Amino acid sequence: MATKMNQTNNQGPQFEVLTESQIEQIYASALDVLESVGARFHHEEALELFNNSEAVVTDKNLVRVPASLVERALRSYPRSIYLQGRNGKNQVRLVPNEVAYGTGSDLPFFIDRETGDRRSTSYKDVNDAARILDYLPNYEFHMSHGIVCDAPNPQTYDRHQYLAMLENSTKPMVLTSVDGEGLEDLWRIATTLVGGEDEFRLKPQFVAYIEPISPLNNDRTAVEKLLFAAEKGIPAMYTPCPSSGATAPATMAGMLVQSLAETLMAVALCHLKKPGMPLIMGGVTTVMDMHTTTYSYGAPELSLACAANTDISKWLGLRMFSTGGCSDSKTLDEQTAVEQMTSLFYAHLSGANLVHDVGYIGSGTIASLDSLVLNDELIGMVRKFCEGLNTDEDHLALDTIREVGPAGEYLTHEHTFEHWREWFMPKLQDRSDWDTWNTNNQKTMIDYLKEETDRILNEHEPEPIEPDQYKEIKKIVHEADERHS
Amino acid sequence: MEEKLGSISQTLIEGKADELQKQVQEALDGGATPEDVMNQALVAGMDAVGQQWKAGDMFIPEVIRSAKAMSGAMDIIRPKLSESGGAGSGTFVIGTVLRDLHDIGKDLVAMMMEGAGFKVVNLGIDLDAEVFVDAVKEHKPDILGMSALLTTTMPQMGEVINALKEAGIRDQVKVMVGGAPVSEEYAEEIGADSYAPNAATAVDKAKELLQA
Repeated sequence: MATKMNQTNNQGPQFEVLTESQIEQIYASALDVLESVGARFHHEEALELFNNSEAVVTDKNLVRVPASLVERALRSYPRSIYLQGRNGKNQVRLVPNEVAYGTGSDLPFFIDRETGDRRSTSYKDVNDAARILDYLPNYEFHMSHGIVCDAPNPQTYDRHQYLAMLENSTKPMVLTSVDGEGLEDLWRIATTLVGGEDEFRLKPQFVAYIEPISPLNNDRTAVEKLLFAAEKGIPAMYTPCPSSGATAPATMAGMLVQSLAETLMAVALCHLKKPGMPLIMGGVTTVMDMHTTTYSYGAPELSLACAANTDISKWLGLRMFSTGGCSDSKTLDEQTAVEQMTSLFYAHLSGANLVHDVGYIGSGTIASLDSLVLNDELIGMVRKFCEGLNTDEDHLALDTIREVGPAGEYLTHEHTFEHWREWFMPKLQDRSDWDTWNTNNQKTMIDYLKEETDRILNEHEPEPIEPDQYKEIKKIVHEADERHS
Repeated sequence: MEEKLGSISQTLIEGKADELQKQVQEALDGGATPEDVMNQALVAGMDAVGQQWKAGDMFIPEVIRSAKAMSGAMDIIRPKLSESGGAGSGTFVIGTVLRDLHDIGKDLVAMMMEGAGFKVVNLGIDLDAEVFVDAVKEHKPDILGMSALLTTTMPQMGEVINALKEAGIRDQVKVMVGGAPVSEEYAEEIGADSYAPNAATAVDKAKELLQA
């Protein structure tokens, strides 16, 4: 039999925003910023680490870093990172071009499902979001969605939040923390679950979410967390959130230069602290809406800049924490669907590793359980498209076309039976005809969504935490409350 | 003169700061009263800016350019107004609370308030309650504004209000709060007088507070 030679196949559609020369331009410009502009660090140990290296500290806390240090540092970071859930399952592999989805975190407001009104987010809400997340198959990792506003003290909200998540979710997590002490407690909880500090390094259950303050400013708590993560080998992302036109240049390229400089500062600092921690690149790179001053989560510029940032991350050999599935709309409506779908698509096409903020509404201020369920469906559609298509003999179906012949039918053919399940199957979309829809109370996607959210909340029982471990975790949370009472 | 004042308004709308200062000085030299320049030219111009912004015909960078020009014009007008016994729009002190280094929202409010003719004292970021108390004593503002972006720093706004009470000066100043996690209910809970969800609303609310 003849064999096929020199065949190339696309595993999914190919997509990139930047060419290698453009990435090199942006990278060189970011290094220029590090050498000529620098960044501020409001943290003694960080300044000391920089001072004892070839970096230069002037004006009390302004740090400038030579390219040589950045390049040396870049080589020391792991290129693949494996996360896992508390039960040892649900692994997420951060390897190039492998896309996983997750929620965002810390939304102060929550759409109450009884009243439809916006209110302050509670422990129970974060707990419910975890139950939903644990169930939905298209989310691989978990951020809190809401922020626990009813913790005994805002200074310990992070421990309560982790507990609320852990109780109902077995997926790997990305966690925010108040400060270095908060992160240490979260890490102690995780090491309790995984069986010690060394095991955590091999099987990390969470990534620490940390962010600088654009432009080029690093506050004490952020640096504390970075240094603690570096010391203990906790995976962390240092994720700039610049708003183009307000805290970054109004051009996408300028914003990318600045946010890359912010990232590379952390790359240098963590390397000076202790080489080798799993550091992840990040960014919610978007525009400030020039009518409302809102930091926009629905702008096409967000998708464009995030996809370009992902191109840069791949070139640098760092894994990428990107953004998608989010909206500026205050409720679930047409705007929500359009914006969430757009950013999901481009985040996926870009090949980002962890796509977060999925389900956000209200420009990153409002949590909605129904929105989480909606996005599970949307991600399913995106994934189907991005799989691309197979052109092997079976899928070219030449034999089948021959067998059926002109004026035949495929519905009863074995080939159809074998392959139709490869299609995307909608759960929340109505493809029925008008009369069927009409006799079925004219239900729309929102109705299906609410039913599905109710069903998951009522039916899904997450695997519980072992009682002994649970007791230990509660103790850590309790001790934190005592310290801060 | 009316024509001259109209042209000042137009220069303000176009945000030409140097030109505006020149025109204001010329109008005063030509015998216009500071009140007339203030009300018929500058306030009228900023009102037009506000209307055009609300209608979606002007955008924030343009509004801020006009606000900056307004602030420059007020530097000339304010001393004249106090000479003649009149008053500007009032004094506004603003800062970001302790352990919070996020200042873009606060700066936007400060710029917009300048645009409304307020004398603005921008204290900066990461400020102790004491700094706010001292600033209220020193500048005797009509309104004190505070911002926080984080739920962990938000309670500091309440601390500042308590510190004002302890210093016995809470009734001497109106307190306005804002920031992404802040809400109307929260503002009430900590005993603030007003809450604004964005910079433009902050100006409206500030004017309301002064009229109250």
